[in-house]
Amino acid sequence: MSQNVQVPSRNLFRKLGRLLSIKTTVITLCLLLTVWLGAAFAFDHKTVFLPGTTSDGHVLIEASCASCHEGFKPVSNETCLRCHEAEMATDAHGAKKFRDPRWAGDLEKIAALTCTTCHNEHVHTFGRSVNLKPDLCMACHQGIIEGDLKSHDGFTADGCWTAGCHNYHDHRTISTGFLRQNLDQPDFLPLPALPVRTVTSKRDTAPKPDLKQEFQRGPA
Amino acid sequence: MKQWGIWLVIMMCFLSGAFVLDAALGPPAFATSDAELQAVQEQWQSSAHALADVNCSSCHQAEQTKKFVALPTQESCKSCHTEAVDTFLLGKHGIRIQEGESPLTPAMAHLPMQTEAQDRVMNCNTCHDVHSVNTQTAAVDACLTCHNDTHSQNFQNSKHAQLWQQDIKLPRPSAQAVSCATCHLPRHDIGTKNKPQVVVNHNNTYTLLPRDRMAKEVCMNCHGMEYAFNSIFDDDLVVSNFARPPTEKLTTLEMIRASETKRSGN
Repeated sequence: MSQNVQVPSRNLFRKLGRLLSIKTTVITLCLLLTVWLGAAFAFDHKTVFLPGTTSDGHVLIEASCASCHEGFKPVSNETCLRCHEAEMATDAHGAKKFRDPRWAGDLEKIAALTCTTCHNEHVHTFGRSVNLKPDLCMACHQGIIEGDLKSHDGFTADGCWTAGCHNYHDHRTISTGFLRQNLDQPDFLPLPALPVRTVTSKRDTAPKPDLKQEFQRGPA
Repeated sequence: MKQWGIWLVIMMCFLSGAFVLDAALGPPAFATSDAELQAVQEQWQSSAHALADVNCSSCHQAEQTKKFVALPTQESCKSCHTEAVDTFLLGKHGIRIQEGESPLTPAMAHLPMQTEAQDRVMNCNTCHDVHSVNTQTAAVDACLTCHNDTHSQNFQNSKHAQLWQQDIKLPRPSAQAVSCATCHLPRHDIGTKNKPQVVVNHNNTYTLLPRDRMAKEVCMNCHGMEYAFNSIFDDDLVVSNFARPPTEKLTTLEMIRASETKRSGN
């Protein structure tokens, strides 16, 4: 009789004990995870927050979240231009291009005026930090390889920039005009066009070195 | 379940502890012995800096407060070399400093680097040894102290290196000498027609990729367009550091020639 009473209560305790241990473990783990992430944030080990592989160009600053991110706001063009102004100085697909009514409509095919449309970070990229598929040019330039405008008969749709021939932002070097103008130059130009740097000295001999005492003492 | 939890707890405590320990390590102390000071002064005495009246205090003393500065940063260099520092900070070499991270070391690089150079810290002084400011060292030897990929290793036996050996002149490399810097940290004239101002673009990433940019900015300073393009787009030739004339015949150039012939009606 007494055995019959004890069995259900023992089971209840066991169940309760098991529940408590699971609960405790889960709570402890959550707490520790928070502490761990907090420590990572506070002590500058921010790589634990990276959502995916960083592109080659940015990998050296991947732990410097604030370089590109302001809180959880989307990354803006201004952020990119903080470092990439020189590369974008003569942007062939810039705002000026799309102000022309002939091309303005093309922005609906690709939002080309937003850097992150093609250069999304922390995702797979196909070279040059471009996350769109390599045939992205075809959104607007399909006619180059087929149709009435074809000048590139038989070329593949994904080779425009991956083969090195075209540079989306910079047409200064790879454009028909530039190449045509510079055909038939000699292999070695008669004179190198490198600028010479000259130094004009203010004096013939060095002045007396100063700060001797400060060096010996070290910083205050 | 419990055991698994305990292991996780131990692991996390350990990792958090590593963060704390890492943060607690401070910068090293600074003091100069007479011998060290003497050696530095000797280097400096024949340097371009000394002859331009750049004394110890020009860099080692804060301009406003006159406080002694043991280890000047790029900010000190920038007060005279604005373009050099501004561009340095935008390339792979300097971007970590600009973004408030610890300076670049070869250990962080993805390209092959010299084993013994893994912990070298990248700043102006790394390549320029600011006391002797020898631009020749900075143009080749400094690069090869760290860079150990095949293209870099092959420089020494290249035609470019022969030109470099033939025409090394003080105080700085001439326009005929081809060093690593001639192509990867090239000179630009940012002055006017009457008043040239030649500066060095220290953004080492700018004239590296994409290669078409190099062709225009660098190769075509000395070579014709077709020679430049047929060389720079040949991977083997790049790896060999341009050990032979180009054999590539780019389709692009054939197409241009064909269209030009068609256009002129010949």
